[in-house]
Amino acid sequence: MNLFRSEEHIERWLAGRSPGATIPVTTLSDLAHAWWSDRLAPDWRPHTRAQNQAILDSVGLTGRFWQLP
Amino acid sequence: MDDRDLELRNLTYHLFVELGRAPSVTEVAQAAERSPAEVEEGWRRLHEAHALVLDAQTTELRMANPFSAVPTAYRVHAAGRSWYGNCAWDAFGICAALHVDGRIESSCPDCGEPIAVDVRDERPNDTSLLFHCLVPAAHWWDDIVFT
Repeated sequence: MNLFRSEEHIERWLAGRSPGATIPVTTLSDLAHAWWSDRLAPDWRPHTRAQNQAILDSVGLTGRFWQLP
Repeated sequence: MDDRDLELRNLTYHLFVELGRAPSVTEVAQAAERSPAEVEEGWRRLHEAHALVLDAQTTELRMANPFSAVPTAYRVHAAGRSWYGNCAWDAFGICAALHVDGRIESSCPDCGEPIAVDVRDERPNDTSLLFHCLVPAAHWWDDIVFT
């Protein structure tokens, strides 16, 4: 799960491997803040699968690649 | 996850933030007023619940997501301290968990050129960067260190 300067850099780094998913860093930031913002809260409880899937959905990460087990 | 394990988990995270690094079993045992063996047993249960990640070879912490116990390519400076994130997602996650602005320092895995991102009000200052996730979500926890 890495940051890259451009699609060209990703393609070179993959070196023929099957690509995963590429998203803008702005979406990543939105995802991270939704996913991790409660991590240090005194009343933290583990997220359920449904909660985590809803977070992915909320930032537009839908489709088979983003489906949690 | 029962209340006692939850308490242990929260204390472990608290110490990780305060120390700027992963706490040892001894440090957590002292703070929790438990024996080192009790901490190791609790950490094992939390590992199984994906609430933290232990090193595969030892009983030490490997991750208290989004924080990494070992140096990585994602250094995060925030709130006057520094931590390592496990990946780019977790690097932003450290700012999110702390509810502060911060600076992420990394490098492009392809060309090695430095990448620095300032996070202000939950937004990156360089919006041209891309994030690539190689492993599908269904398999993130098959090997979380690789993911």
